[in-house]
Amino acid sequence: MADVVMTNMGDVTPTRSGWFNRKVVGLLLAYVALLFAMVVILFPLLWMFLSSFKGQSELFARDMTLLPNVWTWENYVNVWFNTPFPLYFWNSFYIAGLTTLFTVFVAIYAAYAIARLEFKGRKAFGLMLLITQMFPHIMLVLPLFAIIKALGLFNTHIALIIAYTAFSLPFSIWMLRSFFAAIPTELEDAAAVDGASLMSTLHKVILPLVGPGIAAVAMYTFIQAWNEFLFALVFLQSQSLRTLPLGLASFQEEFTLRWDLMMAGGSIVSLPVLIFFLFMQRFIVQGLLGGAVKG
Amino acid sequence: MLQKQRARFGYLLVLPALLLVTLLNVVPLIQALILSVQSQNLIRPNPTAFVGARHYLRALTSDPEFWSSTIHTFQWTIGSVVIAYIISLGLALLLNMEIRGRAFLRAMFLIPWVVPNVVTALLWKWFYNGQFGVANFVLMKLGIISEPIQWLSTPEAAMPSVIAVQVWKLYPLMTVVLLAALQNVPKEVLEASRVDGANPIQRFFYVTFNFIRPQSMIIVLISAIWTFQSFDIVYLLTGGGPGGATQTLAIMVYTKAFWATQLGYASAIGVLMMVLLVSLGLAQQALEVFFLKRAGKNG
Repeated sequence: MADVVMTNMGDVTPTRSGWFNRKVVGLLLAYVALLFAMVVILFPLLWMFLSSFKGQSELFARDMTLLPNVWTWENYVNVWFNTPFPLYFWNSFYIAGLTTLFTVFVAIYAAYAIARLEFKGRKAFGLMLLITQMFPHIMLVLPLFAIIKALGLFNTHIALIIAYTAFSLPFSIWMLRSFFAAIPTELEDAAAVDGASLMSTLHKVILPLVGPGIAAVAMYTFIQAWNEFLFALVFLQSQSLRTLPLGLASFQEEFTLRWDLMMAGGSIVSLPVLIFFLFMQRFIVQGLLGGAVKG
Repeated sequence: MLQKQRARFGYLLVLPALLLVTLLNVVPLIQALILSVQSQNLIRPNPTAFVGARHYLRALTSDPEFWSSTIHTFQWTIGSVVIAYIISLGLALLLNMEIRGRAFLRAMFLIPWVVPNVVTALLWKWFYNGQFGVANFVLMKLGIISEPIQWLSTPEAAMPSVIAVQVWKLYPLMTVVLLAALQNVPKEVLEASRVDGANPIQRFFYVTFNFIRPQSMIIVLISAIWTFQSFDIVYLLTGGGPGGATQTLAIMVYTKAFWATQLGYASAIGVLMMVLLVSLGLAQQALEVFFLKRAGKNG
């Protein structure tokens, strides 16, 4: 009660200095600070997008302007039709797609098991997932390189799909686990009473309830696979197999000083994940917080 | 009976994940340990050449490159994580105020997190470009510097420049985590301390910060682990240069293995890296226990 009275007084009581009271000034300062921070933080990205619409002469001009004087699609046309970029795009798209499919499929069952089913070694498995997060990828890449070569998978996309799936799994399982744990056990009990098998309870009763969790895991995995660079660098050799990050990085050597191509390419690579992210960010944030922080 | 059935179902469901994680995380780890005591070369593999601790001794006692890379790794990790934490804390406190458009602002601030690392490196490289980069242009227009800085190619400027990029990558997730933590700080406690006459700074340190400390520690640890082992941003921005000024351990492992073809030596450095990482984790645990004890005494 006391709380309500106090806040009401603060908000309602008209005072002479009402417009300048501390709360209003504080909020205004917060807006100014946030907008300033946003401009500073997003400026490099904005500069890339805007640069991608500038022609060569403007890109290397002495005097710079924020907006292009002449807007041109030329860089995008060049990247798309005069470089192997579409091929890289397709490679990345289906590698990330298949990785996401496999990861989600494997993670759902493992996450459900460690969230809900009592079995020996459950805790140990959970701990193992956490510990693998501490293995530096740069250290794993050396033995994996040897293993991949021995299996005859060097310079194949399969090698990348397997590696990405395995590396996304621990975090994905951990993330999904908390979504399963949040579902009341009564639902399962009711299904069991109705005579449903464990598998059909999982599929028909539980899975529909963890939709947001699955969306979060899928997005996380897709973004990881779409962005990954090191394994692609080590496992692939042929130009035609390159993924987007690898292809874009190789622009640096093959088209030295073609910043026009790199800015357009960079924009194209970022766009799908940015659009995806802006639509789904609520789910991703929820999933990350559920999995990573509440432990 | 049902108990047993559920346990069996559990094993069945976990099996595929267990296999994948074991084969691609645990087995390679063991393999890396084995490689690190062998004289393996990328060009002429010779699995039987056991050399014992020779690689480790070489790294620790007679390779100044290892020590300089270790120092750079710590500069890079601590610099990035500390600056990112301060920025995220500020942003989270601002975003925690009752302002309009909070969801929109939060989404905007998260954007750098999803930008692929390769794109991040390229766009900052363009940004930092000595001749045509906008960073120099703006700073010169504002009169802050009088001549262009070669951000990535002078040894003194290179490390701070790459750290700035990593901060740009790290702060978004930290902000989200801290914001979530801040929303759990009970309003009554804050109000009570205000009534008791605590000023905003005291309220932050004596009340708010105590509530967000657990989440802070976790996100700082996770960020430190990522940064410590991160490879692509530095590799693409500077390749470890100029003159090794930004060569971290991750870069050293890569160059030793794939350029110098010394697979065994590179593995040993990788293992040492991991030992450092685990110590970091243990140190964090110890710190947490220390804080818990202190909190226990005070409360």
